[in-house]
Amino acid sequence: MVSFQGVSKSYGAVRAVADLHLELHPGETVALLGPNGAGKSSTLDLLLGLRTADTGTVSLFGTTPQRAIEQGKVGAMLQSGGLMEGVKVKELVGLARDLHPRGYPLDRILATAGITEIADRMVGKLSGGQEQRVRFALATAGANDLIVLDEPTTGMDVSARQTFWGAMRRQAQEGRTVLFATHYLEEADEIADRVIVLHRGRVLADGTSAEIKARAGARRVTFDLDEPIDRGALEALPLLTSLEVSGRTVRIQSQDADATVHALYGLGLYPRNLEVAGLGLEQAFIAITTASDATPATAEEAAR
Amino acid sequence: MTTLIKLEIVRALRNKKFMFFSVIYPPALYLIIAGGADSKPIPGMKLDMGLYYMVSMAAFGAMTAVLLGNSERIAKEREQGWVRQLRLTALPGRGYVAAKIGAAATVSLPSILLVMIAAAAVKGVRLEAWQWLSIAAGTWLGSFVFAALGVAIGYLATGDAVRPISMLCFFALAFLGGLWMPLTILPQWVQNIAEWLPTHAYAALGTAVEGGSAPHVKDMGILLGYLILFAGGAAWLYRKDTRKA
Repeated sequence: MVSFQGVSKSYGAVRAVADLHLELHPGETVALLGPNGAGKSSTLDLLLGLRTADTGTVSLFGTTPQRAIEQGKVGAMLQSGGLMEGVKVKELVGLARDLHPRGYPLDRILATAGITEIADRMVGKLSGGQEQRVRFALATAGANDLIVLDEPTTGMDVSARQTFWGAMRRQAQEGRTVLFATHYLEEADEIADRVIVLHRGRVLADGTSAEIKARAGARRVTFDLDEPIDRGALEALPLLTSLEVSGRTVRIQSQDADATVHALYGLGLYPRNLEVAGLGLEQAFIAITTASDATPATAEEAAR
Repeated sequence: MTTLIKLEIVRALRNKKFMFFSVIYPPALYLIIAGGADSKPIPGMKLDMGLYYMVSMAAFGAMTAVLLGNSERIAKEREQGWVRQLRLTALPGRGYVAAKIGAAATVSLPSILLVMIAAAAVKGVRLEAWQWLSIAAGTWLGSFVFAALGVAIGYLATGDAVRPISMLCFFALAFLGGLWMPLTILPQWVQNIAEWLPTHAYAALGTAVEGGSAPHVKDMGILLGYLILFAGGAAWLYRKDTRKA
């Protein structure tokens, strides 16, 4: 339903999106994860037809982004989306509802976005978090098949954030595809059933958050050793992704902690204070992006 | 689409400061310029100053409100990102342009009427009922052309550039179109250019009616042509606007 085929976009010398291939499927909740400048917003702009790709094609529901939007299939909440001033919240939301080919009743939209109490307020007099909720109302004013959100919880406090994702989950449960860009890893981890890690305009990893963590070396194993440490033997442990020795303490990242620990005993070692902990998505994310920075990211960079 | 037009009109009416100056300024200017003039006909024309300036100041005022007002507000809305948000709705480009013209027309109508009232009350201008009606209607409908031009300028220029650009268009059009002084007292080459400008055709609608005849088909054609050009251009720019603004 959403398809990027070899899409590239540059701004001057800056390559924001580089040969991107991406397919989204109906009903998925997908997080587009990446540090600032990874190309998240550019990717969403291309998807929504706000910018045109230099090369490659972007298609939405088998047609152009513009056509799909005109058919009311897409609702979007932009990071930079300003609001019309000099009108009341309910007037603005009413406008979005009327512009949508399959708009919902006004009361329902207001309630879903949690802005019933501020419906009579002027748009110019809202706080940052309230503005975000109004933007969310604009994005969900009708029966869309796809909802696109660019860093939707920026400026929201913790409780507003929770309410927001609650509303978003309900949208997903109704069978909609949700695509959101974020640099909050816990959001991607908790909400998305698919995480796409974007770095320098390319897809670095694409899978469930468990898969992403596994790819980076999902488990962290820490232990102490008494005898002089034989680094070479430790490095030969199976499924190891990183090794760090400081004094008598050894820290290991492993894709399969059980196998690694088993092999450790197999070496005849007696690790003490053994701890096995899951790696957060955040650490996985850092591991993946640093690994990518260490190796040339694209063919042309390698050629330099 | 009608909701957007309604909302734009509501917004325009709520903006009291803008409304006040747009509405008060043309009749005030009319009284200042035509106030002391005698009722002798202008050289080369059948009309006197009071009559001539009634139409040109009504036109000038309507044009000020719609052209300058529209272009600046649109450039600002683009900067704030509202237009980006609006482009993510099913609203077609022509809907956006229509809404902006509608809002501008709301502002221009009272200023046109006030100039006419001032002319009748202070300068003693007397016309047939059909003349009053056709001048009001013509000036009002003609202002749509400049509202569309305002939308187009608001799209071509960004932030800081929009004011000088719209001012330049505005003064050139107002002067060369004969809104400030009758063209008959200007050199012939200016008159030759002016004939094809929207402002000249705009004022000519009203002066023809004042002279007792129907507006010229040529002037209406010129205005219609400009309206299609400006509105079409504005709608195209709205959809094509892929800059970050």
